Amino acid sequence: MYPTWEGLGVHSTMFVAVIAAFHVIASHLTVGAAWFNFYVERRAYRENRPELYQYLRKSAMGLLVFSYVWGAMTGVGIWQSTTAGNPRGISTLIHNFVLFWGSEWYMFLIDVVGIIVYYYTLEKVDPKTHLRLAFILALGGTGTLSLIVGILGFKLSPGKWLENGEVLSGFYNPTFWPQYFMRFALMQAITGAWAILMASRLPRDFPERRHIIRWAGIIGLVGLAAALLIGRVWYWHNIPARSKGLLSTKAFPAVTVQILVVGLVFTALGLLLAAWRPSRHTRVSAIGMFFVLFTTVFGAERTREILRKPDVVNGYISSNQLVFNGLPARGIESEEARLDETGILGHLPFVPAADEIDANAPKEFPSHEIAVGRQIAIMECSGCHSVSDQTVIHVGDTQVALRQQSALLRKISANDAASIRALIDNLGTYPFMHDFVGNDDEKDALAAYLEYMVDRQQGPPTTLPPTTIAPTGGSHGG
Amino acid sequence: MEVDDALRMMRDPLGAPFYPQVFQVLLVITWVIHIFFVTLAVGASVSTIWGFRRGGEYELRLARSTARLTPSAVGLGIVTGIAPLLFLQTIYDPIWYASNALTGFWSVIFILVVASGYTCAYVFYLKGSPEGRLLWTSVAGLVLLLLAGWIMHVLASVSIRPEQWRQWYAPDGVADTRGIQFHAANAGRVTFLLPLQGALSVAIAGLVYTWYRSKRADADREFLTWVAARARRVGIVASLLYSAAGVWWGLTEGAEMKVGIEVTVTLGALGLALAAFFALHRNPVAIGPRAIAAWFGSLAVVAVVREVIRSSALAEFGYRVADYPFRVDWGSVAMFGVTSVVGVSIIVYLVLVLYQAGLRSADQATISLRVDRFGRVATGMLGAWFGFFLLVGLYAVLVLK
Repeated sequence: MYPTWEGLGVHSTMFVAVIAAFHVIASHLTVGAAWFNFYVERRAYRENRPELYQYLRKSAMGLLVFSYVWGAMTGVGIWQSTTAGNPRGISTLIHNFVLFWGSEWYMFLIDVVGIIVYYYTLEKVDPKTHLRLAFILALGGTGTLSLIVGILGFKLSPGKWLENGEVLSGFYNPTFWPQYFMRFALMQAITGAWAILMASRLPRDFPERRHIIRWAGIIGLVGLAAALLIGRVWYWHNIPARSKGLLSTKAFPAVTVQILVVGLVFTALGLLLAAWRPSRHTRVSAIGMFFVLFTTVFGAERTREILRKPDVVNGYISSNQLVFNGLPARGIESEEARLDETGILGHLPFVPAADEIDANAPKEFPSHEIAVGRQIAIMECSGCHSVSDQTVIHVGDTQVALRQQSALLRKISANDAASIRALIDNLGTYPFMHDFVGNDDEKDALAAYLEYMVDRQQGPPTTLPPTTIAPTGGSHGG
Repeated sequence: MEVDDALRMMRDPLGAPFYPQVFQVLLVITWVIHIFFVTLAVGASVSTIWGFRRGGEYELRLARSTARLTPSAVGLGIVTGIAPLLFLQTIYDPIWYASNALTGFWSVIFILVVASGYTCAYVFYLKGSPEGRLLWTSVAGLVLLLLAGWIMHVLASVSIRPEQWRQWYAPDGVADTRGIQFHAANAGRVTFLLPLQGALSVAIAGLVYTWYRSKRADADREFLTWVAARARRVGIVASLLYSAAGVWWGLTEGAEMKVGIEVTVTLGALGLALAAFFALHRNPVAIGPRAIAAWFGSLAVVAVVREVIRSSALAEFGYRVADYPFRVDWGSVAMFGVTSVVGVSIIVYLVLVLYQAGLRSADQATISLRVDRFGRVATGMLGAWFGFFLLVGLYAVLVLK
C-alpha cells in the first residue's frame, strides 16, 4: 500500500525495538519515580526532614533531563520509526485510538510542564504547594500509563473489537486490566533502581542516603514480585491461545528466555542488596542494575511483540500491512482475498505491474522474473525478514541480519526455486506465518528471487542434512 | 494506478472517529503551540552562541538565560509536537505515511538528531554556560536542531507532491527502499519557518521576559531595558526578512500549488505588520503580553497558510479533508473531552505556580490564595479523572456487546 523502507544496515523493525526499549524504561520511570518522590517528599514535609530535599533535587534534575523529555522523544521516535517501517500498522492504531492518544498527550503535557515547574520551584514555594506538585506528577504519570496500556494490549488481544468494531472494546481489551496493574508494579522496580542510582550519587556520609536506598530496595522488590505474580496468574491467562502457542516455536528464540531470567534474577538481587545492606550499593552497582534492567525490558518487550506474530493487530492486519480478516461491523473487507484473485503486482499503489519493472536498471538482476520477485519479497516479506543485502551487516565472514530469508531457507535446504515454491504454497501451515498473497506467477517470481538470494548470500549448498520443516515448531522464523 | 485512486485507496479503512474538519482545526491550533517552542529553541540557541561570542556583561547575562531556556524549549517543542503529528496522521495519512516511507532513513534518524541536539543543549547549560566553556556543544546543538527542522521540512514537502512519488520510489519500476534521498524542499519556506521564525520567537520571548522580570522589586531595570531594546531591534529586522521570505515562498511553492497570490500577499503583509508592531512600540519593556498575543496570532495565520497550500496541492487529485470517511465514536469523544478539561486546568495551575514563584525572590515566594484554591480543585479533578476512566472501562467490559 505504501512505499517500503527496509531499513539500512539494520532492519527497520530493529530500529523500532531499540527506540521502544528506551521509551519503556524512560516512560515507566516517570510514573514510578513520581510516586516514589511523592512518598519521600511527604515524609520530608510531615517529619520535617529537610535533607530529603537534596535527594529530591537530584532526582528531579535527572528525571527532567533524562526521563520525561527522553520519554516523550522516544515516544515520538516510535511513531516515526513505525511510520517509516510499517505505516499501515501504526495507521490502524491511530485511526482507532487518536482521541485516546490525544488524551494521553494532555497527560504528557502535565508530566513535562509539571517536572519543569517541580524542579524550578523546589524550595522556592511553600512545602505544601510543592507537595501538591509532586502529587500532580504522580497522577499525571499514571494517567499516561492508563491511556497507553489499552493501545498496547489491543495489538495482542483486540477481543470483542474483532466482532463489534467498537473502539472502547478494543481499548478495554482482555489484557488491558492485568497489563495495567502489572506495568504499574513493574514501574516500582524500575523506580527502585533509579532511586538507588540517584541516592548513590549523594555523599556516603549523607544522613538520608541509607534510608532512601533501603526504601527504594523494598518498594522495588515488592513491585517486582507483584509484577511477576500478576503476569503469571492474570496476564498470561488472558493472552490468546494462538499467541501462547507461538512461545513453543522457533519464532521465540531461547536466548530471549535466558535474557529475561538472568535479568530478573540480577534485578531482584540488586534490590535485595539495597533493602538489606543499603550502604553496600555504589554508583557502579546502581548503573549496572540499570543496564540489566534495560536488557530485561528489551527481552520482555520483544516477547510481547513476538506473541502476536505475524500480525500487527492480532486477527486483523498482518506485518505485510494488509487487512487479512475483514471487520464487517465497520464495513471493512479482507484486502488479501481481493489480491489473491487479482495478484498484487499493479494492484497496490506502490507495487508496480510486472511489465513496469525493468530488470536492467538501475539495479541489475539476472532476469526480469528475479527483479519482479524482489518486488514481491519487499512487499510481502520485508516486514519481518531481511530480504536483501541492504539490511545485512557483515562482521568478518558472518552476516548479521534479522530473520534473514536466505539463511532460513539454507537451514532447511530449500536451495532451489522448486523447493522454495513448495514452501510458499504451504506457508499458512506455519503458526507464525500467513498464506502467501497473490497468484501463481507471483509465487514463481518470488521463488526465483529467493533462489537467487540463497545462492548470492549463502554460497553453494553444503551436503549437511536438512533441518526439519515441520509446520509446528519448525525452524523457520516468523 | 492513477494518483487519485491511490490516495483514496491509501486512506485507512477505519476512518476518523469524529468530523475530519475538527481534526484539521486541532491540527492548526496544536501546530501553533508546537512551532512556537521549536523556533524558540532555535532562536534561544543562536542568542546563546552570540552572547558568549561577544562576551559583554549584559550579553553574557542574557546568553546564560537563553542557555537555560534552550533545552526547556526543545523539551516543550517535542511534547507539543505530539498532538499535531497525531491529528496529521488521522486526516492526511496517505501523504504523511508515503513521505515518511520514501524518506525512511531520515524519518527514523530524526528523533536521534533531536535527542542529540537536546543533550548538547543541556550539557552546555549545565557544564558550560556558568563559565562560558564548551561552546561547541551549544553550536552542535543548534546544528542538530536545524537538521531536525530540515528533515521535517523535507517530509512536509514530499507529502504534498504525490504525483512524483512513484518516480522517486521506483524509477523504471525498481524500488529504492533505502529512504536516504531528500526528494523535495523549498528554500523560501524553510527560511521563513525556521531561522526567521526562530529570530522572532526569541525576540518575543525577550519582550515577555523583560515585562515579567520588571515586576520584581529587585529587578535590574537597566539590564531589562537593554534586553527589550535588542529584542525590539531583532524583531524589526527579522520581520522585514520574514516578509521577504514569505513572498519568496509564495512565488515558488505557493505558485506551484496554484495559490501563489494568496500566499504571497498574506505572508508579505504579515511580516510588514509585525515590523510595524515592533517599530511602533517605543517602550518595549511594557509590551510582553501584547507581543505574545500578536505572535501567536501570526503563527495561526502561518498555520492556516500551510493548510491552504496542502489542501490546494491535494485538491488537484480529488483529496479533500471534508471527504475523509468518519464514524463518530462517542466513547473516544467523551474521553478526549473530559481529559481536555482536566488537562488544561492542571496546566494552567502549573503555569500560575511558576509565574507567581518567579515574581519574588526565593525566600519570599508565596502562592496566592486564589491560585491555591484553584490548584486544589484542579488536582481533585485529576484524581476524579481516574474514576471516570474506570467507569468507562466497566461500561466497555460489562455493557458493550
